[in-house]
Amino acid sequence: MAGRRGTNPTTYSPSLKTQKTRSTIFKDDWVRPDGRGFQQCRPAFFRTSAVTAASGSAYAEFGNTKVIVSVFGPRESKKAMMYSDIGRLNCNVSYTTFATPVRAQGSDRKDFSSMLHKALEGAVILETFPKTTVDVFALVLESGGSDLPVVISCASLALADAGILMYDLVTSVSLSCLGKNLVIDPILEEESYQDGSLMITCMPSRYEVTQLTITGEWSTPKINEGMQLCLDACSKLANIMRSCLKEATTTSQE
Amino acid sequence: MEYVNPEGLRLDGRRPMEMRQIRAEIGSVAKADGSALFEMGNTKVIAAVYGPREVQNRSQQISDKALVRCEYSMANFSTGDRMRKPKGDRRSTEISLVIRQTMEACIMTHLMPRSQIDIFVQVLQADGGTRSACINAATLALADAGIPLRDLVTSCSAGYLNSTPLLDLNYVEDSAGGPDVTVGFLPKLDKVTLLQMDSKLSIDLFENVMQLAIEGCKAVANYIREILLENTKQLEYRRGL
Amino acid sequence: MVGLSLGEKNFIQGGIAQDLRSDGRKRLTYRPVSVETGVIPQANGSARVRMGATDVISSVKAELGKPSSLQPDKGKVSIYVDCSPTAAPMFEGRGGDELSTDLSVALQCCLLGGKSGAGAGIDLSSLIVVEGKMCWGLYIDCLVVSSDGNLLDALGAAIKAALSNTGIPRVLVAAGASGDEQPEVDISDEEFLQFDTSDVPVIVTLTKVGRHYIVDATSEEESQMSSAVSISVNRKGHICGLTKRGGAGLDPSIVLDMISVAKHVSEQLMNKLDSEIAAAEAVEDDS
Repeated sequence: MAGRRGTNPTTYSPSLKTQKTRSTIFKDDWVRPDGRGFQQCRPAFFRTSAVTAASGSAYAEFGNTKVIVSVFGPRESKKAMMYSDIGRLNCNVSYTTFATPVRAQGSDRKDFSSMLHKALEGAVILETFPKTTVDVFALVLESGGSDLPVVISCASLALADAGILMYDLVTSVSLSCLGKNLVIDPILEEESYQDGSLMITCMPSRYEVTQLTITGEWSTPKINEGMQLCLDACSKLANIMRSCLKEATTTSQE
Repeated sequence: MEYVNPEGLRLDGRRPMEMRQIRAEIGSVAKADGSALFEMGNTKVIAAVYGPREVQNRSQQISDKALVRCEYSMANFSTGDRMRKPKGDRRSTEISLVIRQTMEACIMTHLMPRSQIDIFVQVLQADGGTRSACINAATLALADAGIPLRDLVTSCSAGYLNSTPLLDLNYVEDSAGGPDVTVGFLPKLDKVTLLQMDSKLSIDLFENVMQLAIEGCKAVANYIREILLENTKQLEYRRGL
Repeated sequence: MVGLSLGEKNFIQGGIAQDLRSDGRKRLTYRPVSVETGVIPQANGSARVRMGATDVISSVKAELGKPSSLQPDKGKVSIYVDCSPTAAPMFEGRGGDELSTDLSVALQCCLLGGKSGAGAGIDLSSLIVVEGKMCWGLYIDCLVVSSDGNLLDALGAAIKAALSNTGIPRVLVAAGASGDEQPEVDISDEEFLQFDTSDVPVIVTLTKVGRHYIVDATSEEESQMSSAVSISVNRKGHICGLTKRGGAGLDPSIVLDMISVAKHVSEQLMNKLDSEIAAAEAVEDDS
């Protein structure tokens, strides 16, 4: 690889992560690339009403991960849809072309869209808007790891901003298993070497899990530990989100 | 390329007038109203029939007869090299249309006004003659669903390669580019409902080839009738009659 | 779409509460499973699995390709699911796409392990031919022929059976290729390598209806579920993946309880499946 780049210096190609960085993860004195502790989340920043045209929207920034979610509706469901006495939630997650290190990689994530839908449907009180549809459009501006959890938390904030009735705010945190270590809120680099991952979406005040995904091989005590870590982080995240909502209402009242 | 060797045998060891092994099974999809599996050599298709039932899209409803719909789809693993084809490409749309028209001609649609019959055919393995196999499977599935039919429509193809008429072409023979005549036939009424041909063929040769395909259809019809009788006997037996 | 009257709904829910389901099973009993291997001769391996009226086919095709630069010592595996309209009229046209992607994602999550390849049911390093240059790519294609609930478990079982049926041709690498050149290979027609599938996990879906959970739900029972958790468990009793469906939230302690139940159930399923696969292979060898 190095030889080829040497002969062709005019074209830039993104540096491919090689075996070298991987081995460091298994050393005892390994520190996370951004200097965080294993059980420390990235600082979270939330702001509501980021898009004026939408009925509700939110912007979230977790380190390099930047996400914007806008909520439209409730609007009348399409005529072709069958009658339903509960509302519909239509979710869509897309990436900007510049979100990933390699341009336009996975601009439309169907699997993320359905995960977002599954995570939110349990929290939104769909009975309150029969025959209508609420659209949730999420756009990942920059992908920096743990994209889906950020999208989910941000989407619930946007729904709250739009005044859609929910049982509780939905927060989501993921966790990577690297060798023996469990690292919370992984960044892109950590995610690409992970041996396993765990993502929890929950409603902290109700203490209910709305979505849970595990990949890789886990023993039960480890799942226990991972879930506890994530649930803790979720409730802290919910406090941040709640204070963001309160702040927005107080400023608008003034 | 030599498709018929000097001894008069084809690439897969058949005689020119010989059909591949056929096998059928009724009721392979438990949830459908009628279903069947049909094999012609290595070609294997499943057909499922839903209906007659209420028309899903009101604007398509026909007031004096049933609406017949058909969808043909190929499994990803059905062909030699793996391909992920988008659904509804030109080829499958065309075959869906051919099957729909052939089946519509033999269903007594006027007995079921304002209703809908769905025929779904799924190709599990494609080795030439999927069109014919689908029609045969669809006939069995319709019969299994108890839908009134004018006759059991059956289908078979025949081709002409190395100056020899060949019955029931397989994939290699089919892709040779020679004439390929597919016939849909109502054996009792002695009527042809489907006739398709690629490439060119002189009129008198065409008659020969078509006659050969019709003979093939008759053979399939005999087999299908046997299978249906056997199935009915099984049903009778289960009911304790 | 399942249309049920209020009475039928109550009947199903009541039956589950009393541990006697409408088809006479207990809450944690599977329907009879039947396995048939080698159904698609063109593929490297294939299997058809039936659980009651649910009927799925899975096929494995191996193609030579280049390993990804991130993991030069690993082969590639991808899983695709297709829902045939024969299974239900609503899968007509693009109608089955959503369910197909959902199932594909769930299967990938349950069977392929983490990003680094650790914990995958298939040993990815066994797929490598020349490190960094050539590897086998396994394409697992599944087709839902008939659907009566519990598709994920059936698909998982079908993939496991298809993998045990898979033979990958032995590849001889010609010596002398160096640098960036693609090595020359000779694919053997006679020698095939069999997979070790003892590590491939089985998927157990626990469907929560009312306050209880059941395994192997039929589509009628699935229409009454509040949520369903699919857990894939390997022979060692480790969890290899987990996904949740359905909107209703679950208390974390219930999730943990479900995991322990799934572990218990998976042992029985694994043994049953192994004997079925062995029997199917024996039948195939005879014919």
